Amino acid sequence: MSVRLKDTDSVIHIRWIPRYTGLERFMHWVHTASFIPLALTGLILFSPLLQCGAGCVAMRNLRILHRIAALFFGATPIVYALVQPRRMLMHVREFFSFCRYDIDWLKAAVPYYLLGRHGAMPPQPRFNTGERLNAIVMIVGAAVFGISGLGMWFGKGVIPANLYLALLVIHDLAFIVTFAMFMVHFYLAVIHPMMWQSLVSMRFGYVSESYAREHHARWYYGREQAIRMWEQHKAEGGD
Amino acid sequence: MSETGAPRVNRRDFLRLSGAGLSGLLLHPAGQALAATPDDNDLAILYDASKCIGCRACERACKAYNGLPEVEEPNTALSPTSWNLIAAREGVYHGQQPYFNYQCMHCTDAACVMGCPSGALAVNEKGFVSFDQNKCIGCGYCSQFCPFGIPQMGEANLLTGEARATKCTFCQDKVEAGTGGPSCAEACPTGALVWGQRGTLLAQAKSRVSELKNAGHSGALLYGEYEAGGLHRMSILLDQPSAYGLPDDPGGQYSLARLYRKILQPAGFAIFGVALAGVVTAYGLARRNIHMEEVE
Repeated sequence: MSVRLKDTDSVIHIRWIPRYTGLERFMHWVHTASFIPLALTGLILFSPLLQCGAGCVAMRNLRILHRIAALFFGATPIVYALVQPRRMLMHVREFFSFCRYDIDWLKAAVPYYLLGRHGAMPPQPRFNTGERLNAIVMIVGAAVFGISGLGMWFGKGVIPANLYLALLVIHDLAFIVTFAMFMVHFYLAVIHPMMWQSLVSMRFGYVSESYAREHHARWYYGREQAIRMWEQHKAEGGD
Repeated sequence: MSETGAPRVNRRDFLRLSGAGLSGLLLHPAGQALAATPDDNDLAILYDASKCIGCRACERACKAYNGLPEVEEPNTALSPTSWNLIAAREGVYHGQQPYFNYQCMHCTDAACVMGCPSGALAVNEKGFVSFDQNKCIGCGYCSQFCPFGIPQMGEANLLTGEARATKCTFCQDKVEAGTGGPSCAEACPTGALVWGQRGTLLAQAKSRVSELKNAGHSGALLYGEYEAGGLHRMSILLDQPSAYGLPDDPGGQYSLARLYRKILQPAGFAIFGVALAGVVTAYGLARRNIHMEEVE
């Protein structure tokens, strides 16, 4: 794609690289569209500060909405696993693969995201360390939500009360962790000034070549070349 | 022991000790510290199993006052339309005095209140556990938190969850208005159920237990003075609590309720607050320090 800058003769050539398939993006947004109402309706049940006044009809309906949203939330990974099992397995392997560069990434992330200092960011695969941590929290969280939620939904009065209460506590613990992670994910993906391309890629499926090179060098160049370039960059005194 | 003579704690021991300490802190000592205590001036009901003749006048009075349908066959369990129940327990006191009156125990630090997300259940300033069914959203948490199995849920619906809860309200309308006491206690012909100030009833109950013991009922005991932080429906029993289907130590569910309401929920909001503050601060710093024209 070529863009001519306004009132100049300069032309910027942008090469777009596909990052996400249509199904991946669809699943991501279904997951998001179910997680947000789940979190908000769950928050009302979670917090005594949000107790209803007289009436409470709305609150009763929110409980129904919570269950409907839970069906979509739970169905997303199941549908993905049925439609593209190999690709899902590939994702899971990607998410759970860590190396020493992830420690370096975490160290460099604070000056990068707060101050824009990119030089110390080590090369990353298609998903950077933060995205992988977010994915792991969401995968584990979804499993915990699923087990505890189904237990509470269908087990009330059937399973022992103490087990029910333990499931309730576990469900809420999963909520605390995933919702806190979601706040950070939302900030980085939607609000942070440097990450707009990440959001665009989840919307349209593409990132610019320059973004891929800078943010996901191991994906763009391949692991060996990206690491070689990174080690050379460090040897030359790059920060 | 390490070379310096100091005991060595490996990682597994450390985790084990930490886990045990945390569990202990959350589930018992801290839980007790977080618990409320009953007041002598609170209102309460005292049930004396040794005086109960199983006439079911209390059941009928409860149904009449609360507009609940009468049933021809005696109830065998609490239900959405039976908030007060007389049941004969097999094996209690050698079968001589088998009755027990089941109703809300009106706990001081009620687990159902801690579990209720909508404010339908509340501890009244007079000590009993009030209930506003209009506020109930039917989540059923109260039925799970209550160690006595008192709140009864209406007809279940797979999609929407269960119907609204029901339970004894201590006849809160007339008690609040000062026009009367709990109907069950007012109707009892033998004085097995009485109501009044908790301190007065407590003294009366202790005296009665001594009297029963002197009369040869060696197993007589008072249930509810300390159990679950102190109940506002105390009972004089002739046998062990378990013989009446009462938990010897109803503390487990209270500990979970306290963990849920007084530790987990505030901790959750603290974490959300920290995450939000971190995000806002990070955004402020990023806006000040990151110049997109240089980045791009």
